[in-house]
Amino acid sequence: MILITIAIAACTLVILSVIISYILGWANIRFKVETDPKVESVLEALPGANCGGCGYIGCSDYAAAIVNNNVPVNKCSVGGESCALKVAGIMGVDPGQMIKSYAIVHCGSGLSERLLRTVYHGEKTCIGANQVAGIQGCTYGCLGFGDCVQACKYGAIHVIDGLATVDYKKCTGCGACARVCPRGIIAIVPFNENSIPVVACSNKDSGKESKEVCERACIGCKACSKISDIFIVEGSLSRADYSAYSDSKHEDVLKATEKCPTKCIRFAGRM
Amino acid sequence: MSLFNFKKPSVKGGFRHGIHPPENKGLSETSKIEVVKGYETVTLPLLQHVGAPAKQIVEPKQEVKFGQMVAAGEAFISASIHSPVAGVVKNNRNVTMVNGRRIPAVVIKSEGEQVDPGLLWAEMIADDWALDRIPSYDPQQISKIIRDSGIVGLGGAAFPAHVKIAPNDKKPINTLLINGCECEPYLTSDYRLMIEAPHAIVAGAIIAAHALSAGQTIICIEDNKPEAIRELTQAGQGTSIKIAALKTKYPQGGEKQLIKSALGLEVPLGGLPGDIGVTVSNTGTMAAIAMALLKGRALTHRVLSVSGKGINSPKNLFIPIGISIGEIIRYCGGLREDACRIVAGGPMMGFAFSDLTTPVIKGNTGIIVLSKEEISEGRETSCIRCGKCVDACPMNLVPTRLAMASRYNNPDIALKYHINACFECGCCAYVCPAKINLVQLIRSGKRLVANQQALNKR
Repeated sequence: MILITIAIAACTLVILSVIISYILGWANIRFKVETDPKVESVLEALPGANCGGCGYIGCSDYAAAIVNNNVPVNKCSVGGESCALKVAGIMGVDPGQMIKSYAIVHCGSGLSERLLRTVYHGEKTCIGANQVAGIQGCTYGCLGFGDCVQACKYGAIHVIDGLATVDYKKCTGCGACARVCPRGIIAIVPFNENSIPVVACSNKDSGKESKEVCERACIGCKACSKISDIFIVEGSLSRADYSAYSDSKHEDVLKATEKCPTKCIRFAGRM
Repeated sequence: MSLFNFKKPSVKGGFRHGIHPPENKGLSETSKIEVVKGYETVTLPLLQHVGAPAKQIVEPKQEVKFGQMVAAGEAFISASIHSPVAGVVKNNRNVTMVNGRRIPAVVIKSEGEQVDPGLLWAEMIADDWALDRIPSYDPQQISKIIRDSGIVGLGGAAFPAHVKIAPNDKKPINTLLINGCECEPYLTSDYRLMIEAPHAIVAGAIIAAHALSAGQTIICIEDNKPEAIRELTQAGQGTSIKIAALKTKYPQGGEKQLIKSALGLEVPLGGLPGDIGVTVSNTGTMAAIAMALLKGRALTHRVLSVSGKGINSPKNLFIPIGISIGEIIRYCGGLREDACRIVAGGPMMGFAFSDLTTPVIKGNTGIIVLSKEEISEGRETSCIRCGKCVDACPMNLVPTRLAMASRYNNPDIALKYHINACFECGCCAYVCPAKINLVQLIRSGKRLVANQQALNKR
């Protein structure tokens, strides 16, 4: 009796599976979506990190844009040069010049170097803390709660001594950190050389005001711009023109770093 | 007569949810408004209001007169700024406002002969307002005078008043509600103003009603302020202004809650009171409008409460806008030893801050210094979905859902649950037994949503 029951159940399952597989097979032909084999092969060549660093929603979106809209193939900072070459091979186009970009934090102040004001009991996130006045004196610099650390898929950014610090061995330049930083102090910058000079400060206030809140603040004294032409002082904040830098200017920049009274110029990148 | 035809007596206090926090108004409600004199410098941030920053029109070292415009609000939603002292303009300085924004500010050092602020106050509390002059003004002209006087909503949000108090053909206003609820605990500045300068408020209300051609004007006051109700009823005799006593409940003074309570109307989701023909404005704003139109005074001074158990002598003050908060605290006898937190605005919606050189701005209703016993601190625990925040939310939202969407970076869910309808009254965070920073999370969530929308647009 039990055997018969089992047999009936087994037969039902077999018949069902046959019917359903026919339906599936039919549906596969009937509802087939034509995909461009090129898009698929481009997608395969891309690293598949779906980080959005190229400006498209994930790798498949970028692959479709390359094939359909003739978008440049060198936008993937994660895959880098080898990936661009591969994609260019598939598309039969010139890969274009590929300058590797990385994240740069425009703040260089450790916890002991900045003016801290009060004990903060609120949400331990930068986006929350940024809406509260007076956690620390500087309203431009790093808050150190690590929204960027959360956003980074590659574990390439860490908060060290209250300051977001990029690990250039892991950074791919996807820009996720720059997008979440509520104070906008992280930028994705093309690196002409392995390491480039950075004015690690974003404080736009006058020299006197910024010095009150931070020892490492740029005070806009123009000492650096007198020595090296890659520094441009706007208002009371200096910035480095990253595209103008090359290793031949290293000597000058080194002099400027030494001359800087608050030591806010430093080198970033793979040393 | 049909049994079903009788009109139900209108229930005043009729918005749903809300809370009853301890009022603590006793600390300062009996102290008369004092005029603060003898200040050296004022700092006037260029953005004290909602909208575009004002454009500075004075140079350093330039001399300015009392009441002279130092920054012009050129954009439509912006407000001009006037000097509360006669003196010399110093170099600009950047100030961190209580909401965390860094704003350039005009600094003026007082020099030479000053207009006595006591005179200004005497003008404000006078009861002889030339009400018969009001009908001769053209509504557009009134709106322009309000704009030139730099008047913003003095109840806290600081929305430029000329935008609201202006004739609008597309959306005609039929009701003007004057908000004298002052539902925030501790604050007594509006209360004192209603008692001491009721005629100015009534005059301002008549002017605003004339500018809007509003059919009815109602001054709404919570029923815990019987003296204010009495004073205003007396002052409003012989005019068409009605006084309504509303139930004492937080946030009765919220714009949308007030409309629901006083008129039984609901502002549509995402809409403004103007959509249903209502304008809501604060009592202090009305007094400022009366001063501007009938006495020719720009907005340079305001009434502010200093309260809390952490300050030596709680007071209500008539202060120049731009005076530093530290100076005010010194005037009130300084901080007590157990002072723990200083809040600009009321304790529910105000901002805690730490820099006492921050200037008072137009929208500051009070400075509250809380002592250790007045703040509840503790470790955050998990949300157990008890629903207390849902029961408290006067906007009928689900605060915990919004807060968690924000914490776990999910702008889509936040938007689906109408995060932008939240006006950050703080009821949810007040009742939350798990001490979750609901309001801060929701505020962050609004930023997330805005960022996401900007990213999608790109």
